[in-house]
Formats: sequence, structure tokens, C-alpha cells
Amino acid sequence: MFIFPQKESTAPTTCPDPPSTQDVGSGSGAGECSRKPDQKLYGVGDPIAMFSSGSSYLSSRGSIVKWFWDSAEEGYRTYHMDEYDEDKNPSGIVNLGTSENKLCFDLLSSRLSQSDMLRVEPSLLQYPDWRGHFFLREEVARFLSFYCKSPAPLKPENVVILNGGASVFSALATVLCEVGEAFLIPTPYYGAITQHVYLYGSVRLVYVYLDSEVTGLDTRPFQLTVEKLEVALQGAHSEGVKVKGLVLINPQNPLGDIYSPGELQEYLGFAKRHKLHVIVDEVYMLSVFEESAAYHSVLSLDRLPDPQRTHVMWATSKDFGMSGLRFGTLYTENKDVATAVASLCRYHGLSGLVQYQMAQLLRDHDWINQVYLPENHARLKAAHAYVSEELRALGIPFVSRGAGFFIWADLRKYLSKGTFEEEMLLWRRFLDNKVLLSSGKAFECKEPGWFRFVFSDKAHRLRLGMQRVRQVLEGKSQGAEDPSSSHNQEPSSQHGPGAGPGGHRLRDRTQAAVARAQRHDPVIERGAKQEAAVAEVSAAPNGRARAEKRWAAGSGLLGPLPLESAGRAGYPRAEERVQTRALRETTRCLLPSGPLMNAEVQRKSNPDCDG
Amino acid sequence: MSHQTDIFSMSCGQMRAQGLRLQSIYPQLLEMVLRLQKAIEEHFLQVRSRHKQQDLVLEEQRLRLEQRRSEAIQEQEALVARLMSQLANVLQSGSWNDPGLQLLLPSMDTRGNAGSGQGAQSARKPDQLLPLLREWQTASVIPVLSNRGEDISDLYHMSFQDHIANQGDKYHEDMNISGIINLSTSENKLCTDLMAERLSWSDMNYIEDDLLQYPDGRGQPFLREEVARFLTYYCKAPAPLDPENVVVLNGCCSVFSALAMVLCDVGEAFLIPTPFYGGLGFSSRLYAKVELVFVYLDGEITGGNTQPFQLTVDKLEQGLHEARLKRKNVRGLVLINPQNPLGDIYSRDSMKEYLEFAKRHNLHVIIDEIYMLSVFDKSTTFHSVLSMESLPDPNRTHVIWGTSKDFGISGFCFGTLYTHSREVATAVSAFGHLHSISGSTQYKLCRLLQDRDWIDKVYLPTNCSRLQEAHKYITDKLKAMEIPFLNRGSGLCVWINLRKYLDPCTFEEELVLHQRFLDNKVMLSGGKSYMCKEPGWFCLVFADKPRRLKLAMRRFHEALQEQKEELITALLEDAQKE
Repeated sequence: MFIFPQKESTAPTTCPDPPSTQDVGSGSGAGECSRKPDQKLYGVGDPIAMFSSGSSYLSSRGSIVKWFWDSAEEGYRTYHMDEYDEDKNPSGIVNLGTSENKLCFDLLSSRLSQSDMLRVEPSLLQYPDWRGHFFLREEVARFLSFYCKSPAPLKPENVVILNGGASVFSALATVLCEVGEAFLIPTPYYGAITQHVYLYGSVRLVYVYLDSEVTGLDTRPFQLTVEKLEVALQGAHSEGVKVKGLVLINPQNPLGDIYSPGELQEYLGFAKRHKLHVIVDEVYMLSVFEESAAYHSVLSLDRLPDPQRTHVMWATSKDFGMSGLRFGTLYTENKDVATAVASLCRYHGLSGLVQYQMAQLLRDHDWINQVYLPENHARLKAAHAYVSEELRALGIPFVSRGAGFFIWADLRKYLSKGTFEEEMLLWRRFLDNKVLLSSGKAFECKEPGWFRFVFSDKAHRLRLGMQRVRQVLEGKSQGAEDPSSSHNQEPSSQHGPGAGPGGHRLRDRTQAAVARAQRHDPVIERGAKQEAAVAEVSAAPNGRARAEKRWAAGSGLLGPLPLESAGRAGYPRAEERVQTRALRETTRCLLPSGPLMNAEVQRKSNPDCDG
Repeated sequence: MSHQTDIFSMSCGQMRAQGLRLQSIYPQLLEMVLRLQKAIEEHFLQVRSRHKQQDLVLEEQRLRLEQRRSEAIQEQEALVARLMSQLANVLQSGSWNDPGLQLLLPSMDTRGNAGSGQGAQSARKPDQLLPLLREWQTASVIPVLSNRGEDISDLYHMSFQDHIANQGDKYHEDMNISGIINLSTSENKLCTDLMAERLSWSDMNYIEDDLLQYPDGRGQPFLREEVARFLTYYCKAPAPLDPENVVVLNGCCSVFSALAMVLCDVGEAFLIPTPFYGGLGFSSRLYAKVELVFVYLDGEITGGNTQPFQLTVDKLEQGLHEARLKRKNVRGLVLINPQNPLGDIYSRDSMKEYLEFAKRHNLHVIIDEIYMLSVFDKSTTFHSVLSMESLPDPNRTHVIWGTSKDFGISGFCFGTLYTHSREVATAVSAFGHLHSISGSTQYKLCRLLQDRDWIDKVYLPTNCSRLQEAHKYITDKLKAMEIPFLNRGSGLCVWINLRKYLDPCTFEEELVLHQRFLDNKVMLSGGKSYMCKEPGWFCLVFADKPRRLKLAMRRFHEALQEQKEELITALLEDAQKE
């Protein structure tokens, strides 16, 4: 996926040269910042609005494509030249920007190493059916029937296999739209889609801007309604932009929102009325870690309003934490669409051996249900609890509904003028302090000041990342008592004995962690040492200490680590999970009130949303 | 089962011995007979149930096969239905005089012709026709697909009709011996045993978190480094090649498609000598909408030429000149070396001339060297363009290579670009995420390319000798059948001349012969799908296992016999009429 190039690091690109603040991937560039954001209900994306330079060797579209890459590459390069590594580069950049699940690598690597995965058969080495090997399409159909709870078994002939979700978007855009036509998409959204549909397809996006304020009949922030869809569609038409479809991401990225079956029906009904295709991106469908959030796949609906125009996308990138495996799939009942996409599959093929492995993986419901999903959800939950506690401790409002890998946080109070320039400066400040985040601009959020925090990472990296975030924010918000600590300086260079109120406790924990490290295997040892280091570093104020304590309690840090838990150091065991839950219940009551806009709170006060 | 047999044989032995000695122990004998009876019953019961199980398995396989067939038929049906309705509506709309209609037929008769309807003359056909069809469609219902979506779908189906139609009837040694043998797809199936074995070594199955995470758009650095080292060695580069100039994508088609995107704008063109691998026409067209302008080469040796289908700078100049007269904006030249389907290898001097020609006209040169290690004739030497001391225009010279042919692993979907132009490399990288390769596959490829010992001592020598054997087998057969062919020492196919089986010598007749091969359950590609200017040429892929080759050649022979008899009968009839 294009996650990095465009999405995660577009915002930064615009920064290197402060005077020429150009807005990559944005509709109207700097001018947008001065307008009153709330008045804008829709926007027509022009991905190349800021493009200028040509090239002697490239075609004009080639130059545009290269410009895309360069502008995205800058931020990506910054991160990749200085990637955090606990041993080799502890002062490197911690990535809380890319939406990847790094929590279950141990489970996945052991499953992928089992002997059933290692089959090499001549037919797997030769040209496949470009639509995907039949055995895999059968397995995908069975898998989706089961996990999407489809009322009737899904059919293998409606399945097309491609090398990732990005390719599905690219192919669909090309076969559904002419050059210059558009898809409707509610914002904030996973901004890489901009490039997926534009690179080959030259298809644009029409933004349906959603508000963080709960107004009118809305019951939650950033709520999508048919009314808003209608307005955006009319607006696009009035500007002469032909809209061919609607893109829905469910569970939503970056909001973590889940659409109810009722809402889905409404959106689909809207699309049907206007003869729009609907592309439903369900790439996070198994990453719903909060039991109370009931997720409904569009494939579970008894009757689709317009089955011939409803196309579902799923991939293993997120739900199985394997973005590097490049497996994506399209499910559509429309034979013409399936065939047209399959015609492009020659350019989006994936190795036969990988197809075989995917079939083996998706077939193994026992492992998925009994090992992988419960463990994955528990780890996501623990990591989510930690980051949300941290944010609460900082008094930062956020939206999060128990799905996905991220928390959508409101840092508007750290911007004095509330502009995208400031948002970018803040983003840059985070990067200078060696933590990579994604800013709202990259998601085409209409209000400056929102950031996406990815929490699906190992405990030690999360801690360090959040610590660096806190340094930036506190340095700024508290009038920077020690300016040097806010940015441009490595946290590791601030090493010193634990001071302040939490000092003793932290020192104790450090000792405990080191002791544990000496007892256990290298994996744990490294993690524990890191924790020790982090613990030592953090001379935390009260809020910080409280969060740390909760995190520690929730994650089993203070208790003895079981020997069999190699690879999940820092994460709770079953009984500790119960503890976490109880803790979360209590912390809900402790939540700050006022400006805090926590979806959990919202949901509590609104039974409809509770699913 | 073995247990039962034991009882059975033991009982037999005992019975015989006892029966001979004493007749008085009748009850014992009876008991034994009864036991024997029971054992036999059990044995047969088990045999029966085993057969039943086997039947079930077979039935399951048959069902699956049938499903695949019916799927293929459904697809065909859908295609036919679509074409028919389009045809009907063209007729209905009364557009008899519309030039679009004349174009319908040629573009429909491209059965099995990869990338057909492409050239300078025919490239616009579907483009002109389709809007016409669209008009009708929008009048009645809103079409599901965009115009280009329809175009892509149609082009694909016309190009790969044979493969789609016959997917359900593939030859299989055990399950479908009467299925169609494919001598049309350029795949090397001779060394799958070596490859499967090598890929099963434990060093291949390594999983690391990096491999499961988002890749670099250009390909993992470790793989790009290995590709640079590999190409430096096998292309005999004068200086080590730079990993920064390498872009790794999921197949050479993808590399070509991305190159076409970044070097040309919509409607611009590449120059390409014919006959050539039709897939390139398809790849330049599908996403990129780039045209190919053909430089037609002759089967006859004329003028100063020394071999059939010889490419000269004069012909390139002429081709470019004609294209410019037609207001085509030609941005580059595409060369395949070793050539597919001819098997020709360009000498270092000729290559230099072509590159100079391109430089004079500011043209990019894309050189597809995908068969570079499949040169099996020891007397010919292949010179990679990367082996040149100095390139005339390095920033406009782009080399494509992949493992599909040379290592017979087309299913791996791996292709790479080597270009000195950072701009081009970067622009192609932007497509990296749409053409990315699985991290674990990248790792396997890296291990494979790294293992020079195995490649040089095991794989290449074996592959080379197997290619030689298969080539010799086929060419001996062709000689015995007195079929002219180009005898070259590289690539996976032989370019054969079946003109004498066509009467009249037209592309229609070529198609008839093509169909006759299919009826005889062997698939070959006609010259039309390689944009050959003369009808009657066929491409015969020989890189297959001896058993399949033998059967295929028998069917090939039978088809030609049939064709010959029909031609003779027709001649006789004509003579009688006169």
C-alpha cells in the first residue's frame, strides 16, 4: 500500500522549506487554512494542484507520478534513515504513524513456519490463473462466508485475488470510472487511496467533510449521514464532476468507527438511488477488539440494495498483520466487474507459493479462532488501553471505538491559530523529537489539529513513542520549562536517575525489570531491558506516573513474567486482562470532563451507538 | 488390508496341510473354512469401501474440473453475449457506413492473438468502435463498467480467448490425458524438479518481521543489492551495477506497464520490430494507453540482409519516418534480446547501431533481456546491453529482466528494471505499491540469485542440456516433416513456417489451421499474435517434458495431415470442376 509515500508522510513533505508551504495531496493548498473550515461541506480533490516541474526524460504524467513519489518520499526517507532499533539505534525515530499491526509477529511466524506452509509444487511455479489460483479463491469464499457471516455461502467465482488492497483500488477505479471522474469519500479517510485511484486510473475523490462537533441529529463526532452524502454529491455535480461511486471504510480508518447495519443500509440505499457503485473497504474487519462493538460486514446483510454495484475489499495486511505479504481480494457479484478487474490481474499477481500459504492460513479456522484472534485482540486491547490512558493523562480528547490500530486524537489545543501550517509544524516537532505520527491533513480532515496515533506496536516502542510525544506536548503546553527537552534532543540523552514524585517507584520497577531480564530468554530480556531504560528515563509528573502505573498494572509488568510468554513481554495474560478491564471501568469514571470528547463517553450516553 | 491377507494365506496353508493329513478333524476344518470365509468377506468389504473412497476423491476432482470448465464456458458465454449484443446494436443503429463497423470484424477475429489490434494501422480500432457501442448502451441502461473498463475486458478476452476457453480442458497426465497440450505459452517446464527441490531447502523458509511489513516501493534493499550483483556478473558489466538503479516489481509485464506510463503520455508510441511477443502490446495498452508502431521485418532474405527477419537501422529509420508522417509521437524503441519469438541474438555491433539510432532521435530504448540465460547453443554468445563499455545514451536506456523464463518460475511474478536514470527509476517506483512482491517471495528470490554455486554448477548446465535435447527433438521432427523453421540457439520456442498448409495464404487461413490444432488438442500461437506481417508462421514452445512434447508432436503431425488432405481434396475438386 501507499501508506507511507502519501499518507503517513505527506504532511511532512510540505514542511522542509518553511516559506514555501505547499500542500501535497490537498485540494486547495494554503488557502484552505484561512477559510472557516466549518463552512465547507464537500471538496473536490485535485491531487496534482501543486505540481509544477517537468522533466526531460519523463512523459508529463511520468513527471507527475515522480513528483508524487518525491513529495511523499521525503518524510519516508527521514524515518527510514533513522529507524528506531532497540539495539542498534535506540535514539532512532519511533513510528506511530504507519498503520501496521506489529503485535503478533511471534504467532504469525510460528504459524507460517509450520510444515504445511512449505509446499513447493510445479503448478505453483507456473503462470497461474490470473484471477488467483482456484484453490485460494475457494478458500477466500469460505473464509469470508464464515467471518462476514454471510446469509448464503459466497462463491469462488466472485472472488478476485490481487497483490494487496492498493491494487484492488487501482483496478476498480480504472474499470469503473473514466479519466477525471470521481468517487465520493467521507473524510477523514485513509489518504493513500488518493494515489491508489489516481496513479493508473486518473480518478479523483470528492470529499464528504465530517465534523468533530456533534450537531443537529448526529449522535457522535464525525458522523456520516445520508444528508451529508447528498450535499457532497450535489456539490460535485454542480462543479461538473461526474461521481461514479462511493468509498466506505468499515471499520473506519482513522476514526475506528463501525457502521451499524442500519447505517450501512442507508448509505447503500443512497448509492442505489444515484446509481453509484459502493466500494466497501473492510480491511480491519477482524481487528475489532472491543467485544461491545458489534461489527457487521456488508456481506452479512440479508439483502443488498444494489448487489451489482457493491464491491467488497479485504486483505490480510491489517487483520493478520502481514502488510508485507501483499494479499488482497475483491468480492463482487458483478461478473463484468470481476472479469474486468481480472483482466488487469496480470499486473497485480502474487506468487503461487504465497497463494498456497494464504489458502493454508485462511483454512485454519482452529488456529484463527482459538489462538490468533483472541491473542491479537487481547494485545490490541492492552496496547489501546495504554495509549488511551496516556492521552487521558495528558488531557487530550480522542475518538476511538474499539476497532482498528489507531486513536484519532484532538491536539487542537496545541495550535494557537488553528491552521494546517501549525499542524504541520507540530508534526515536524514530533518528528524532530523522533516520533513519527500522521497528521489530520494527510486524512483530508477539515479541521486542523487532529493526529492519528497507531498503537498496535510492542510495549517498549509504544512507551518510548508516547514518552516522546509527551515531551513535545508538555514542552509546548507548559511553556517549555526546559526548552531543550521539548525537541531536537534525544530522550536517551536525558538519562538520569528517576527524579520527582515517581522516582522511587520507577527505580524499583527498573530493578524488577532488570531482574526479570536476567531470568528469561533473550527476547524478553531485550524488551525488559528496554522497559528498564524507559522507566529510568521517565521522570514523570503526576499524570504520567498514574498512566504508567495503570499501564504497568494492566500489562503485567509488575508481576512475574511467565516463561511461556516469550514474545509477548509486556502484555497481559488472561487473568491480567480481567484486571485491565476492571481498571478501564474505573478509569472511565475518572475521565476528565469538559472539552474531552471521548467516543466511549459519547457512546455511554447514547444507547443507540452502543451496538 | 495386509492383516487380512496374512490371515488368508495362513488359513490356506493350514487348511491344505491338515486336509491332506487327516480327514477326521472335520469340525476344525469347518471352523477354518468359516474363518477363511469371514476373512475373505472382510477383505472384499474393505476393498469395496476403499474403492468407494477413491471414487469419492475422483468424483470431487471431477466436480472441481467440471466447475472450472463451466466457469470458463460461462465466461465465454458472457463474452459472446456481449459481443453479439454490441454487434446487434451496431447493426440496429444503422451505422453501416460508419467506419467503425469495418473495424469490428478484424478486431473480432483476433482469436488467441495476444495484444492484437494494436499496431499503427489497427491501434485505433476498438477506440473508434467502442464509443459507438457506448452510445447505445447509455441510451438504454447505465453501463456498469467505464468505457475503458469495457475496453480492457474486451481486449483481454480477445487476446487470451484460447487460454480462457481451454482452461477447463488442460492436459493432465493422470486426470485428463485427452486435454489440450499447450505449446503456446512461453514457459520453461523442463527444470521444475530442480527448482522445486532448491526452493524446499531450509534457507528459503525464513520469516522475519521486516518481511511481513510494508515493503519499500522499489523492492527490499537486500533484493535490489542482490539483483545488482547478479546482473553485474551474468551480464558481464564492466563496472559493478548500482542497487539504486534497480527497481523490483511483480513481473516484467508490470515493469513494462509502469515504464510505458512514465515515458509516454496517452496516445504516444513506442517503435517495435515485428514479429514480437504480443504480451508487450497488451501491457502497453491496458493501463498505459500507449501505442506500438510496428517495424515490419521480412521472412525473405533480401537486399543486404544475411538472415530472415533481420533488423536494420534503415528499417528503423523508415518506421520512425512513417510514424511521424502519421503524426505519431514516438517516444522510444523496444527491443527483445534474445528475441522472442525468433530466438535471434543481436550482435554487439548491431545493438550499438540501434542504440545510436535511438540517440539520434532522442528515443528511449527498452531492452527486454528476459531470455538472457536461456541461450543453449554454445556457439552463440549473448551480449547484454549492460556489458557495453559505454552506452550511447545511458539515461534513456532501460533494461528489463525477470526470473520467469530463465529460471522457469513465472508463478513467482518477479521482474526488475535496471536504468541509469534516477528520474525514471523513481517514477517507476511510484507504481511499486501497485506492483509489489511479497516480502517472503523477495527473500526467496534473493537466496536464489545469491546461490551462484547452485546456479552455475547445477541449474544452468542442466537447464541448458535439457533445452538442447528438447530443441533437438522438436527440430528433428520438423525436419522429418519438411517444415522450414528458424534454427536458433536461444529462447524457449521455434519459429516455424507452415505457409504451405495455407491456401490461400491469408491470416484467415492461419486462423483455420490454428483451430485445427486446437481440435487436435494442441495449442500453438499463430504469427498474427506476434504481429508478423506474413501469414503462415507459428511459434512452437518446446521447453516441456519429453512425454508431453512427444504426444503434442503426434497431435501436431495429425493436424497437419488432416489439413494437407483437405487441401488436396479441395484441389482435386477444383480440378474436376474445371
